[in-house]
Formats: sequence, C-alpha cells, structure tokens
Amino acid sequence: MKYIPKYLFTLLLYLAIVSSCAEKQDFDQLDNLDVIPTAEASLLYIEAPERIINQVTGTNFYSQTFNFDAFSEEFFADNILDGIVTYEVENTTSKPLDITFEFLDDAGNSLDSENFIVNAAPTAIIQREIAYGPAGRSLDIIRNTSAIRVSAINLGDNTSVSSLPNPSVYLRSSAKFRLRLK
Amino acid sequence: MKNLLILYIMLFWGYMTLHGQNKEVLYDFIEIPQALLLNPGMNASYNWYAGVPLISGIYAQGATSGLTVNDIFAADGLDINQKVRDRALYALSKRDEVNGIFQIDILNGGFRGRKDPSNFYSFGMYVEGYAQNYWPEDLAILAYEGNADRLDQRFDLNDLNASGQVINVLHFGINRQLKNNLTVGARIKLYSGILDINSTGNKGYFVTSEGQNNLLRSTLDADVRFRSSGLDALINANDNGESLSGLFTKRGFFGGDPGLGFDVGVTYNLNEQLVLTGSLLDIGLLYHTSDVLNYTLKGNASLEGVEIILPDALSDPNADFWQELVDEIEELIPFEENDKNYVTLRPIKFYSSIRYNFGKQGEPKQSCDCDYQNDSDFRNLYYLNSVGGQLYAINRPRGPQFAFTAFYQRRFGDVLALKATYTVDKFTASNIGLGMSLQAGPVNFYIMADNILSYGNIADSNLASFQLGLNIISWDGN
Repeated sequence: MKYIPKYLFTLLLYLAIVSSCAEKQDFDQLDNLDVIPTAEASLLYIEAPERIINQVTGTNFYSQTFNFDAFSEEFFADNILDGIVTYEVENTTSKPLDITFEFLDDAGNSLDSENFIVNAAPTAIIQREIAYGPAGRSLDIIRNTSAIRVSAINLGDNTSVSSLPNPSVYLRSSAKFRLRLK
Repeated sequence: MKNLLILYIMLFWGYMTLHGQNKEVLYDFIEIPQALLLNPGMNASYNWYAGVPLISGIYAQGATSGLTVNDIFAADGLDINQKVRDRALYALSKRDEVNGIFQIDILNGGFRGRKDPSNFYSFGMYVEGYAQNYWPEDLAILAYEGNADRLDQRFDLNDLNASGQVINVLHFGINRQLKNNLTVGARIKLYSGILDINSTGNKGYFVTSEGQNNLLRSTLDADVRFRSSGLDALINANDNGESLSGLFTKRGFFGGDPGLGFDVGVTYNLNEQLVLTGSLLDIGLLYHTSDVLNYTLKGNASLEGVEIILPDALSDPNADFWQELVDEIEELIPFEENDKNYVTLRPIKFYSSIRYNFGKQGEPKQSCDCDYQNDSDFRNLYYLNSVGGQLYAINRPRGPQFAFTAFYQRRFGDVLALKATYTVDKFTASNIGLGMSLQAGPVNFYIMADNILSYGNIADSNLASFQLGLNIISWDGN
C-alpha cells in the first residue's frame, strides 16, 4: 500500500510526458491570412497668393510638373489594391479659377486628370474624392504615375484684390490606399 | 541571523535586474546535482558526481502569454483572419510575450575537498540560448490595419522589443558549509557569446494628425536600434565556406564575445526541520566585440506631402520637390549602420524558498567520519517529506515578473525522490509540475516537466518545459 503513491506519481509523470499530444493543427491556414493595411498620407500642397496671380500676364498663371515617384515605387505598385485620392481646393482670391491636376507617366503622357472650376471669394471649399481600383478608375493610373502636373487658369482679371486677409488659392490633396502585405 | 537577513535583502533587491526562466521543480531538489546550478549554496551531500557528457542536463521551455498556437491554428473551421483579429490584434497587450529557452550540459561534475571536506567544488560547461519577443501591440495594428482613420493615434515604437542570445558557459563553483545550519556557495562563470540579437529600449512614435497646410500631417519621432553579434557570420557561413557547427564551436570556445558572471546562494536551517534558501544567478554581462552589426533609426520628421508655396517655389524651375522631400526625411531620420561594440547584461534570476521537513525515515547516513555531514547535509535526506513555497522573480524589459510555487516532496529511501509543484505566474495559474530523481546504485536519473495538465493538448498550452539528465553520484568518501 505504501508504494502506491510513488507508483502513482511516477505513472502520472510518465503518462504526462509520453502521452502528451496536440489537437490537430492546420498550419496551411496561414495561406489564407490577409494582411491588408490602409495607409493614408498627404500628397501635394500648393499655395499661390493673389498678388502672384495678378503679376502674371495671360490667363495661365501657373503650370508645373512635379516628379512624384511614390506611386511607382515597386513595393507600392506591386501591392496596391484600391484607394481614394482626396482633393480640396480653397479660393479666397477675387477671381474665379480653373485648376487641373494630371497624373503623368514616365513619358509625360497624361494618365488621368481632375478639373476644378472655383468661383471667386467668398466661396465654399471644394472637396472631391476619386476612387481607384475595382470600384473606380483603373489602378494602372496610380501604378504608372511618376509625375503630377498642376495647371491653373485665371478666369478673372489681373487687377482686383480680395478683401479677405491674405487672399490665396490653396490646393490640398491626400491619398488613402489599401495595400496587400500578405 | 542578522547577516542572513542582510543577505536576503540583498538577494531580493537583486531581482530588480532579473531576466530568465523559472525551473521551479529542479530548484532545491537536493538529490539532483544540477540543482547546484540553481543554488550554489545548496546542501550538497555528495562526495563526488559526474554528469554523463551531453545528457547530464537537457532543458527546454516554451512560453506564451495571452495566446497559444491552438488559438490561431486549430483546425476549427473558423476564418484565420477573424481569429487573428479577435485573439491577437485586439486581445493581446504589449505586456504579452512569447519566449523559449534551452540549456544543454556539455560537462558537469563535482567533488568534495580532501583537505577541507566542508567544501564542495563543482564545475562544468553548458550551452544556453533564449529568444523572447513582446507582442508589438501598436505596430501590429499599424501593420494589420494601417494608419487610415486613426487621426492622432500614436503608434508607440517602444512596442518593438525582442532579443535572443546563445552562449557557452564555463563555470566553477564552491559550496561551503560554514556552520551546522548554514551553507553558502558561489560560482564564477566565463561566458563566450555565440549569437546575440536585440532590439530593446526603443523610443518614439508614429502619428497621423490634421495638417497645418495640407490635409494630413505624418510625424515620425524615432529612436530605434537593432544590435547583433555573430548574426552576420551565421547568415554568411555558407558563403564563407564555414559550417554552422564549426562556427558555433569557434565562437563558443572563447572565439566569440567574452563575458563574466557570478552566482551566489545560501541555505540556512532555522531549526531541525525548517529551511530557508535563496540564490541570485547570472550576475554578469557580455561584451559584444566580434562580428557586430548594428542598425539605428534616430530623428524626428513631420511631413504634409510635397509642399509648393509660391512665389518661393518658382525660384528654381527645375527643382525636384519629391526628391527634396525624400532627402529631407533621410537627413532628419537617418537609417544608419555601425559596428560599435556593446554590452548586454546577463539574465539574472532570483530564487528563494522555505521548506518544512517532516516524517523521519531513520538516522542520517554517515559514510565517513567527516563531521560536515552530520547535520545539515543529510538532514534533509532523512526526512520522508518536505513541503514549502518558492518565490521566483525576474525583471523583464516590461517590468518584473514573479512566480509563486508551492511544493511537496516525498522520498522513498535512498532510491527515489518525487517532487510536485503548483506554480502561479503570468503565463498560467494552473501549472502543476512533477519531478522524479531515481538513484540506482551510483546512477542517478532525473526527469521533470511542468504544466503537465496542458500536455493533453500541448498546442493549447501557454507554458511547457521539461528537463532530464543522467549522472553518476558517489555518496562514499573520496
């Protein structure tokens, strides 16, 4: 009888170690794991005071092409699923403006464009969201973009000045994209 | 008694720098010589012992808090993405961790001094490795969900906290019975670092907030580092025509990073049956000097995309605003590589216990005339039973961790000793451990495991460890 505890104990330890087992695990599930974060950041900000607009003769007071490699980076281009580009235009000058954003490829070809006609101040802020991906415009536009061109046309005169403080036109933009990391 | 109290206070304060793994079943299991590695001041009653090379002590442990393999990979038909969200992403915190440790005795032996038999000397060599990683809570959310629609939410870079180390340890210890009721011990350790990687003590954050000019403002404030020693050689071993075993041997035998450490321990018999013990292990450091490769990311930058403010921007019609932005970020937050030597503190462990012995099984065995054996050394062995409690504490990068253990030990003559433990710690509150020491003549075999209730489904266990070994022990006079 006195040997029962030690045999029981030894048996228990033996059984615990030898008979240890694991329920069926399915490590292939890892293949179905989706890691798809949504990244968001500002894209481009342009600020042009009214006095600069007035100084330029002609109506096309501003046009510039910017190198923009963020979208064509291999990691981004390979993993993008869809996204939204948000534009915001605020005009506190005394003249109506015609502003165009264009996405350009390596050769300078226009892939996509967005046009804004904004009234003279006081005017509400214009905000527009453009979707890319299955529910929007082609993702290839984003993937192949390597430059952005911004053009602004003065639809008013070159003399008037807004009574608002520091009259300017502000172009703001941001992007929100879903990326498949796995 | 006053000195003992001071020693205990010192030991307890010592835990403040602790970091390591608990071997609660082996601790103070005086029938097993490897217990000397956990308390060099243990009552050692052997005259000599020799561990069988490579198999005198084999130990492995894996632990996770908050999540098990089964939680994610069980074949339960649930969507793994939902399981990851519910059980990891939004369930774990930055205090949760996963770690693993192994230790293999290469050589281990001990002998009693001829001139002064109250001294017992032990020596040996073992390889030890560990890896730990805290759940990077904020960074996991950032990687899995992204920063969109999380305005002003800071993603803490301190959540990146991982380390791992493989070292070879050459040790020599002295155990001395100062009085009938007091045994102290110390051990010196020479480390040879084989591999070290760590990214700890990181600071900073990433946040997206409302922009001042543009719609959004992204800010990165980073002081992040990754340090390694031996990693580059390991990765390029094949290219360098070197075998992994050759590399490990070279670096393990003092061709790696040098280090020095100490263990101290004490056993004090309050009376015939009540025993206090305590130890501090691995008080030491490694100086990483060989094959060092470090990376740092340090600085602060806020950006709102490409910014063009007229008329200043018109001054250079050929300006590449995008490249200027990239260059500015790289200048403000440089990602740099260096090979500066660095120091890591060894994981220090603190053990203490109180044990009550009862149920005599006869008079103490006296195999020689040495009076050092008359009292404390054999006192424990001629009691059939012991019960008591143990405290284990470690200081991890996220703060101290404790483990409380209650144990019962039963001896059956000189042949068999069994120990059962119940431990509560951050990993589990249902940790029952069992250990056995079998003495067949001079041959000693021991085996132990903890958290045995989880062995029914090891994949659903937060903690599992085992240890076994084979020794030759002589209880006769040398």
